[in-house]
Amino acid sequence: MQYMLIHAGAPDLDEAWNDEAWAALGAWLDEAIGSGVSIESSPLRMDADATTVKVRDGQLIVTDGPYAETKEQVAGYDVIECASAEEAVRWARGHPHAWMGSVEVRALVGGGSVAHQPGPAAGKTRYMMLVCTDPAVEPGELARVEPVEPWVAEMSSRGIRLFGSELEPSGSARTVRGKDPGAIVTDGPFAETKEQIAGFDVLECADLDEAIEVAAKHPMARAGLVEVRPFRSLEED
Amino acid sequence: MADVFRQEWGRINAALIHQTGDWDLAEECAQDAFAQALRRWPRDGVPDRPGAWLMTVARNGAIDRLRRGRSYRAKVEELAVMATRETGTSNDAEPDADVDADDGGVPDERLRLIFTCCHPALAIEARVALTLRTLTGLSTAEIARAFLVPEATMAKRLVRAKHKIAHARIPYRVPPAGALPQRVPGVLAVLYLVFNEGYSASAGDELIRRDLCDRAVALAQVLAELLPEEPEAKGLLALMLFHRARQAARVNDSGDLVTLEDQDRTRWEQADIALGRRHLEDAFAARRPGQYQIQAAIAGCHAAAPTAQATDWPRIARLYQLLADMTGSPVIELNRAVAVAMADGPAAGLALLQRLEAGGALAGYYLLAATRADFLRRLGRNDEAASAYEEAAVLAGTGPERRFLNARLAEVRSLDSGC
Repeated sequence: MQYMLIHAGAPDLDEAWNDEAWAALGAWLDEAIGSGVSIESSPLRMDADATTVKVRDGQLIVTDGPYAETKEQVAGYDVIECASAEEAVRWARGHPHAWMGSVEVRALVGGGSVAHQPGPAAGKTRYMMLVCTDPAVEPGELARVEPVEPWVAEMSSRGIRLFGSELEPSGSARTVRGKDPGAIVTDGPFAETKEQIAGFDVLECADLDEAIEVAAKHPMARAGLVEVRPFRSLEED
Repeated sequence: MADVFRQEWGRINAALIHQTGDWDLAEECAQDAFAQALRRWPRDGVPDRPGAWLMTVARNGAIDRLRRGRSYRAKVEELAVMATRETGTSNDAEPDADVDADDGGVPDERLRLIFTCCHPALAIEARVALTLRTLTGLSTAEIARAFLVPEATMAKRLVRAKHKIAHARIPYRVPPAGALPQRVPGVLAVLYLVFNEGYSASAGDELIRRDLCDRAVALAQVLAELLPEEPEAKGLLALMLFHRARQAARVNDSGDLVTLEDQDRTRWEQADIALGRRHLEDAFAARRPGQYQIQAAIAGCHAAAPTAQATDWPRIARLYQLLADMTGSPVIELNRAVAVAMADGPAAGLALLQRLEAGGALAGYYLLAATRADFLRRLGRNDEAASAYEEAAVLAGTGPERRFLNARLAEVRSLDSGC
């Protein structure tokens, strides 16, 4: 069973990272990769570099910024393989992000089939595409949303979509905050926004224009919101 | 010299960003080149081809900086190739070395720069600021003053936009032909926003505002030249020119707004009007009408009329109808009501206005109340006019507009109500 760990944190998260947090992250990754739990993992660029895409009445609407204005922003993610939700929460508790901000745990629909993808290829940039619900869209529209399979097939064959999955509803999410042994686990997502993450895809694109084109073609661009945000490589910092 | 700088700044920036991919480096080198020119030109005289001189100095500066940097071998080589292509000599050539064109043979990359600065993934304020900074050379402090924000805020906005371009990989290019229809309106909107910020009398320093208008016109000119197949670019340029022609006449000596009706038309700038007309004719020749072309046609009707009475109001009303069908905008409907009132009398205008008010889309908009007040005044319904002027004055934001409305209010109050 695969789970997504969504790292969230305040915008000044970067300054808060100290030697202890870095050391803890290193140890966590060593253990998670060594034991085969970690499948994929990356920090993401902050909200300021995010772009949100939607299509309404056939018109493409591109805006600067994330899918929702939240106090904490999505700062990175892991996909892990665990036997149970409890085990996934245990891994989240050990992640330094839980005390730097919070870690939301969400199961991938159907168990997930994410496999590690080395890269990115030369000249390409990886983007996290967050597929979100939009409360402004009437529920009837959501019920009529087209199947995603043709999009997945097209973007996978173009070498753009590397992997991704629908996530179990945000109501089933659990969020970990604080440092063990004092970490607190609550039911629900990291932010109680009307917009909620419903799924994700990792894209590899030549540039943002390509990422926008790909996001705009996703069926949820019409029935929700699609955010694209570049991966962050630790080497550049 | 200021003219040369203004013209060349964007061109040099655009070329250097294209070659190095480094926005800050490009800006520093452009700045250094202009500083050198300021020192040397008064002493040695202005070179025959000032643009080429500046481009060469800026490019050589970029090569020097990159050489001092660490890992930019490939970029340096590219720049060196460009230098050889351009001057036929090595990149150590004196700036005054022979070059074969005024732009130093460097292709005009400003279109790439314009489309990148106006990318929809940047916040609209960032698009405006970045366009003014990188294409027209307006300083961060000046942009901050024009938009009434602290300089530090504006500096942050610019840095953040440049970071996003780099991190999210906003491409530095002109969109492919297929994407142009989607992207061009966004670029035109940014230029029109800059123009309107300068043109509207809302607040701020008069000199800066006039300068913003001139820079917007210059940018629209560049865009119209570089996108010759796009009639809306010419339409926007024509529209700006017709408006700018009236700039001096629309505010009186005490800083109050003068309505189109009352403006001294001998003060309209005929050169701008003639130029606007030429661009509009060019645009119409493509037979692909659009919002800016129609708005320009309306402004052109005003520009052609010797007096307010002699204006071809029926034609203006028809043009507004076209525009309203195209945009569905209630503000356009309001303007149409004004034109209809001029063509067929204030009662006809008032009827249209009542339909518009019933729609509710313009509730709280001071020009709606001000227009109703004007129609009522012209119908002699002075009591009703007075309360509409009062309503409008409360809603109007600032100085000139509000002063104008209060003056009209006093005028209708002094008249007999006519009942």
